[in-house]
Amino acid sequence: MEFSEHIKTANVEDVVLRRPFYQPTKGTLCVTGHHLIFSNRGGDSARPFLLLLRNIDAIEKRPSVSSGTITLKCKDLCVLQLDIPGMEECLNIASSIESLSSLETVSEMYPFFYRPPFLSLQDQWGLSSTEQHYAQMKEIHDGWRVSQVNRDYSVSPSYPPAVIVPHSIDDETLVKAARFRQGGRFPVLCYYHRETGTVIMRSSQPLSGANRKRCREDELLLQAVIDGSELGYIIDTRSSQQAQQARMTGGGFESKSCYRGWKRLHRQLEKGKVLQESLIKLVEACGDQSHSVDRWLSKLENSKWLSHVQTALSTAGLVAECVERDGHSVLVHGSEGTDTSLLVSSLAQLILDPDSRTLAGFLGLLEREWVQAGHPFQQRCAHSAYSHVRLRHEAPVFVLLLDCVWQLARQFPLAMGFSEPLLLRLAKEVYASDYGTFLCNSDQERCVTGVKERTHCLFQSLLRANERQHYSNPLYERTELAIWPSIQPPSLQLWKGLFLQWTDDALHLVEAQKVIQNLVSQCHRPLNEKVENTDG
Amino acid sequence: MYFLMDGCGPLNHRVGSGPWASRESLKMGPLADVTLLPGEERVIEHDKDIIYMCPFNGALKGKVFITNYRLYFKSADADPAVTLNVPLGVIGRVEKMGGASSRGENSYGLDITCKDMRNLRFALKQEGHSRRDIFDILFRYAFPVSHGLPVFAYLSQEKYEENGWNVFKPMEEFRRQGLPNEKWRITFVNETYELCDTYPTILAVPFRSSDEDLRKVSAFRSRGRIPVLSWIHRENQAVICRCSQPLVGMSGKRNKDDERYLDLIREANGTAKLTIYDARPSVNAVANKATGGGYEGDDAYQNAELVFLDIHNIHVMRESLKKLKDIVYPNVEESHWLSSLESTHWLEHIKLVISGAIQVADKISGGNSVVVHCSDGWDRTAQLTSLAMLMLDGHYRTLRGFQVLLEKEWISFGHKFASRIGHGDKNHADQDRSPIFVQFIDCVWQMTKQFPTAFEFNERLLVTILDHLFSCRFGTFLYNCESARDTNEVRSKTVSLWSLVNSEASSYQNPFYTPECSRVLYPVASMRHLELWVTYYIRWNPRIRQQQQSPVEQRYMELLALRDEYLKKLEELQLTDSSPNSSHLSNSSTPNAASPTQHITHLHTPF
Repeated sequence: MEFSEHIKTANVEDVVLRRPFYQPTKGTLCVTGHHLIFSNRGGDSARPFLLLLRNIDAIEKRPSVSSGTITLKCKDLCVLQLDIPGMEECLNIASSIESLSSLETVSEMYPFFYRPPFLSLQDQWGLSSTEQHYAQMKEIHDGWRVSQVNRDYSVSPSYPPAVIVPHSIDDETLVKAARFRQGGRFPVLCYYHRETGTVIMRSSQPLSGANRKRCREDELLLQAVIDGSELGYIIDTRSSQQAQQARMTGGGFESKSCYRGWKRLHRQLEKGKVLQESLIKLVEACGDQSHSVDRWLSKLENSKWLSHVQTALSTAGLVAECVERDGHSVLVHGSEGTDTSLLVSSLAQLILDPDSRTLAGFLGLLEREWVQAGHPFQQRCAHSAYSHVRLRHEAPVFVLLLDCVWQLARQFPLAMGFSEPLLLRLAKEVYASDYGTFLCNSDQERCVTGVKERTHCLFQSLLRANERQHYSNPLYERTELAIWPSIQPPSLQLWKGLFLQWTDDALHLVEAQKVIQNLVSQCHRPLNEKVENTDG
Repeated sequence: MYFLMDGCGPLNHRVGSGPWASRESLKMGPLADVTLLPGEERVIEHDKDIIYMCPFNGALKGKVFITNYRLYFKSADADPAVTLNVPLGVIGRVEKMGGASSRGENSYGLDITCKDMRNLRFALKQEGHSRRDIFDILFRYAFPVSHGLPVFAYLSQEKYEENGWNVFKPMEEFRRQGLPNEKWRITFVNETYELCDTYPTILAVPFRSSDEDLRKVSAFRSRGRIPVLSWIHRENQAVICRCSQPLVGMSGKRNKDDERYLDLIREANGTAKLTIYDARPSVNAVANKATGGGYEGDDAYQNAELVFLDIHNIHVMRESLKKLKDIVYPNVEESHWLSSLESTHWLEHIKLVISGAIQVADKISGGNSVVVHCSDGWDRTAQLTSLAMLMLDGHYRTLRGFQVLLEKEWISFGHKFASRIGHGDKNHADQDRSPIFVQFIDCVWQMTKQFPTAFEFNERLLVTILDHLFSCRFGTFLYNCESARDTNEVRSKTVSLWSLVNSEASSYQNPFYTPECSRVLYPVASMRHLELWVTYYIRWNPRIRQQQQSPVEQRYMELLALRDEYLKKLEELQLTDSSPNSSHLSNSSTPNAASPTQHITHLHTPF
């Protein structure tokens, strides 16, 4: 296999590994195509330490005459250090890691080689399809239909093959409307609110451009969404100034005169570089090991991460409020419709929809609104907060989503069927994974590279019985009510479980959480036994 | 601001009215939904029309009535009705706003500053002297001490199942700690408060020091507050002693008796070097020499090491909390929340107090005795010793043990509650006022957050304690010291807060409590892990989600109840199932034959 070309030294003895929570240990380091394996000869029962090379964000080497030190900064924010005897070995190992961790060919990535005994490639990849999702929502069958207009990805390369659209709009109209939207991302349904019969749609920006082009079909499509009611809201995730400026580069917004009945509200959400830099600053502040951590709160504020959390939650709250309190449908978009739009629409669904707050429901939401909807995971998560390479398309939009969900779960500790460990697991998997779920940038790419046939699906795996238990919230109590988050700054907290997870001073906090988790789980045990008894 | 409308939060914070209050035959308040406490009487004849200038819901018309215990307001037209139920003890300052010439709507009225992080504004009509009437009555009854009137605790007729004054018995607590022993004795030298008028009557001192020695030492310690034992480690016999500063003065006076006395403390468990924790910043300790105070010099105390803990004085703390109030009430400082919070330094002070206590606890765990003092030894000293004791001794982490801790280290050792809180005193600008005890409870809260299973009590207890720190409904926090309490017969004439608490103990219990008595708790004192106690400091703001443990606690209790119910049902079912065979089962000696029995026992065992 070609990986061997990159491996200059496969094995080094007497390497010292330093990592959080563990004493430095001496052992053998081994480089394989996808992993670093460190085994400790002394401890016979100790399992070898395995690190996915894909997880490595930055590598720093300090070779000296007889030995060298390699610092590995991982995408899961963990920092490791290897002391390697021999300068040549050190350099060889470093360069092997460098080239192997930056391989970009999808089909060479580890998910294509990961074959655990408990999963089969014959299993269904993914939890549900648009058609299955539609079939479950009987109440929308009169007004809405599944369109296969994108079955060959020609209308929108980043959309899934099937989408849900108003019944009265035919495929021909969709094709034309798609030409008027960036990336062909015409407005599609993402949530139907039973109580008010209103919907949340999402799309990309209209291509009205500098000379204010119109598209009759696009207008018809939106008209059909609010058919019969007098008002709908367009929540534009850019400032109105940004939206104006977008016209210069061919983009734009829905003007009032062309879209009767639609009222536009602008809420500026940061994305791209700004968001990435915010994460970098935050991680830097968190990683500051000096114990007097001077001006910690100012540093936290300067990273602006929590204000991004606040804006995301407040915009989602606005969307939810339009739908549930005002009874009006909403269209969410920014420019490409692959980042902040997804963030806002999925958070709004969590606020409104109890079905999306169960473990399976939440994973289903992520699959629909992020994986199938074409969030470019591969581009956004190529690097995390430590990387020295020049950033291109990286942005922690998905991590921001997870943080917002954590804030919701913290404010409503009983409302979510899943627990913090699930969010932490997802935050790790999105950057480096054994599974194929977060590979590629779109459904189309996943088909072309054979992800669905040749890798396993993370979401399926998380729903297996023993995993399910670990990721469930034992305090969960379903509520049909909307959960309105408080977005006042004192109500929003740093997600310590993620950003401070590698600092050892917080160990007892993790322990305490486990104790509580166990206490509550014990309550469930006789009830579960009951089920087992009746089964058996 | 995402919401087009605001959620209406619980503005009505009811200060606990126990089940016992309602059993007494009570006059119902004129506004029907208020139950007056036994002994509570109206002092305003008629309900007055008034406008409450609610910072969250705008001007609210309604009625107000005032008793000798509380101010009560209920809005007339808001739905749901907004109510205010404020014990008069909470009021720190009442001022008239606007004059006869005031223009503008609602600019004429009353401005009330509360001690619990809120201000209340009422607007009144200029006609008919209604403002004057309310002002006079409020001023009189909110500040009874300034008017020669008794505080409400002396008027209360409340009865509880339990008498909270029995919670703390000094001799019992010393016995629990294993005292007296061959190194430490109990002395009654202060029985009539002659040695030190701000100390309790019963003290634990080195066995080898005579009462005469104690008298000599007291002459060299500020206000006679000599080093005495607060806590002893059962295994290694290391002790926490507390005292006030030595009276070294500018000339650097020495006192052989004091030096010898500290050496006796050191000797008691063979500690090589006694550690003296001076809670103050060293600059302040030096400055204190000018007023006759000071610290233990190296030359004089050769077997001791002195460590300064850099905790600031009562004035700094008062200003810090004032700044905090400015950024949270009525509106939260939104745009630069974190840096504003940082600039109050409140969390930084909390950090210093906690990390000081950690150092004390750590020394003790290592088998070394310590002496803790600040200037007078009744503010920072109390914070440090009680927090260290909370870390070291699981008993103090129980509901009753915590009451003992407060009674012992704060109340009996003369934390000047009356001066620091200003109970019933109109002098709001008194420089003696300071939120030292609030800060201590905040530190305890930080610990409960970091060790959610280690404390038997819950957040509600801490908030209740702070509410009644001000309310004057109970005698617990009245007066500055034991001698004053004796003179004023607090124990016989007032009700203890612990009567209320222990009569409804279950509502103050933490369901996740898992006792581990011998475990020493070392909280993380890093700024990253300290949080602002939002549920206390910002509880009046309906826009803040009250992230309390309570929904979690409640849900857990429900689950526990559900489990118990299920187990009981199952047991009943299986008993009825197996009853025809019961003789057979009880005779059966073969283990396999008795599966139903097995099943029952199996289900019992995990719990």
